[in-house]
Amino acid sequence: MSAAAPGRLVPARLGTAVGARGLLACAGQAWRAQFVFRAATWSGIIGATLQVVLVMLVWTAVYGARTEVAGVDQRDAITYAVLGAVVAIVFQPFVYDTLYGRLRTGAIAFDVMRPLSAVPMTLAQQAGAAAAQLPAAGIALGVGLLLGALDAPGSRLSGLAFALSILLGFTLAQILNFMIGLVGFWTLEVSGAFHIYRMFVQFSSGALIPLWFMPDWLSGGLSLLPFSSQVFVPLTIYVDPAPGMHTLTALGVQALWVLVLAVLAALLWRRAIRRLVIFGG
Amino acid sequence: MIRAEHLVKEFSRPRRVEGRLSGIRSFLSTQKIVSRAVDDVSLQVDDGEIVGYLGPNGAGKSTTIKMLTGILVPTSGHIEVEGIVPWQDRRANALNIGAVFGQRTQLWTDLPLRESFELISRLYGLDRADFRRSLDQFVDLLDMGPFMDTSVRSLSLGQRMRGDLVAAMLYRPPVLYLDEPTVGLDVVAKVRIREFIAEQNRTEGTTVLLTTHDIADIEHLARRVVIIDEGRILYDGDLASLRTRYAPYREIVVRAPQVPEDLRVDGPELTGTRPDGDDLLATFRFDPEVISAPAAIQRITSALEVTDITSREPGVEDVIRQIYLDGEARR
Repeated sequence: MSAAAPGRLVPARLGTAVGARGLLACAGQAWRAQFVFRAATWSGIIGATLQVVLVMLVWTAVYGARTEVAGVDQRDAITYAVLGAVVAIVFQPFVYDTLYGRLRTGAIAFDVMRPLSAVPMTLAQQAGAAAAQLPAAGIALGVGLLLGALDAPGSRLSGLAFALSILLGFTLAQILNFMIGLVGFWTLEVSGAFHIYRMFVQFSSGALIPLWFMPDWLSGGLSLLPFSSQVFVPLTIYVDPAPGMHTLTALGVQALWVLVLAVLAALLWRRAIRRLVIFGG
Repeated sequence: MIRAEHLVKEFSRPRRVEGRLSGIRSFLSTQKIVSRAVDDVSLQVDDGEIVGYLGPNGAGKSTTIKMLTGILVPTSGHIEVEGIVPWQDRRANALNIGAVFGQRTQLWTDLPLRESFELISRLYGLDRADFRRSLDQFVDLLDMGPFMDTSVRSLSLGQRMRGDLVAAMLYRPPVLYLDEPTVGLDVVAKVRIREFIAEQNRTEGTTVLLTTHDIADIEHLARRVVIIDEGRILYDGDLASLRTRYAPYREIVVRAPQVPEDLRVDGPELTGTRPDGDDLLATFRFDPEVISAPAAIQRITSALEVTDITSREPGVEDVIRQIYLDGEARR
């Protein structure tokens, strides 16, 4: 059985390298699908740029003549706001048609009979779709830089820690987006759930308003949730001029959330797929 | 080879509670209704065989196929496809099987058709040269050149179905499940797909399990049929003996200016009359085991003044309709 029978084009089992190439192809497919509708691509770019310009204007106006509000420097607040807007474009896109679309058309049945597991396939597609937001985010970021809205990281070490932190944040965002997609196994319709989640997460992750400016009870509560690890933690590290133990702790908490949510997502997926295999596609 | 033994699949759903607040009470109720979609089905499809799997809507055909593909886990029973238990080892099974579900598509809707094939070739780890050779051959056979660069959502049903067939066969799986591959297609498209399936079966020795509501698909492709209703197998055997077993009757239709209402013929039985122009068409049926055709005709013509006479054997379609109707009557 191990050797390919005559006339057979595929092996009895796929190797790791082949599997990895398959996943890459999934990501590439999802990436290309994002650029199919040219108008949507352009409106994405324009929307992202507009958002960066607007948050910059708003925060400049909020500060007015003051250089510091609630102990936060004006430059830091604007840098944070612009980065927050850019990050949200990639982390919390309007894309929920990877798993959701497959569920609605019933194509999910085919996904569970592929030589690759459906979870890595879905995640690869999600990552591809998220990566497709990069051009829009990049242009928005460029505009922010041109307008002088963006300062360099608080220190060289902050920059390094930020790079790691934003990766963890991205992972976290992907896991959470995946879990929202799984809701569709029970409801068959996730666009509503996704819109609510998106609004909630933009607020609670600190992408819209930094947690610094929230009343203590609210920021305290939100920092106990995994959402703040998506955006607020990396951006706080970015503007932090003196990283230290607290930076390591913040990174540790992010890693912990990644772990906990990955396990939760796996459990949820097991239940979802059981639903599929027991009740049919 | 596909082998299924004593396959059972039960679905349970919450029992609906009647009366006041039935919505909430149904939601809270833990009572379940269990229904058997597939009930003790055993069947074997040998290498290189095409078997037609027939049954009325809701008979359990798709449920069986979903279990064979590994999507559904059977409640009990054993399945082996090419020596693999599908639901236990979905990934290894995936490399051995291809599937077309006519009512849904496995293609990626937003991108050009070509891209779906490209992705499938990567998912199955196809060699580039093999992939190109396979694809070129399929595109040629199914005349798909003109729409390879059209996005899947803009394809016609017939084009999409051809795309789905190729997607299922690109990696040349030894086993193919076709669940209504001709549903909704026009005659030309149907014939094209039938010929393609027959060709693949002949040249590659592909084992095919085919469900359809178009008996012509079966007559063109399958020598053997399995008929299922209410989850149970009613018939498993070749198409020719299906007719003799379930429809032993032959029919004689005569054209006559008049047919007396109380007409009695010894042997052939009058089953109905209907007007046709100025005349009447009367249908008689007889069992050739009991009375020969010439004798039957002779008795009819001596009892009735006829202007024309035709004899016909019931088609497979009639036979299957009869089996479905018998099933409905039992319910």
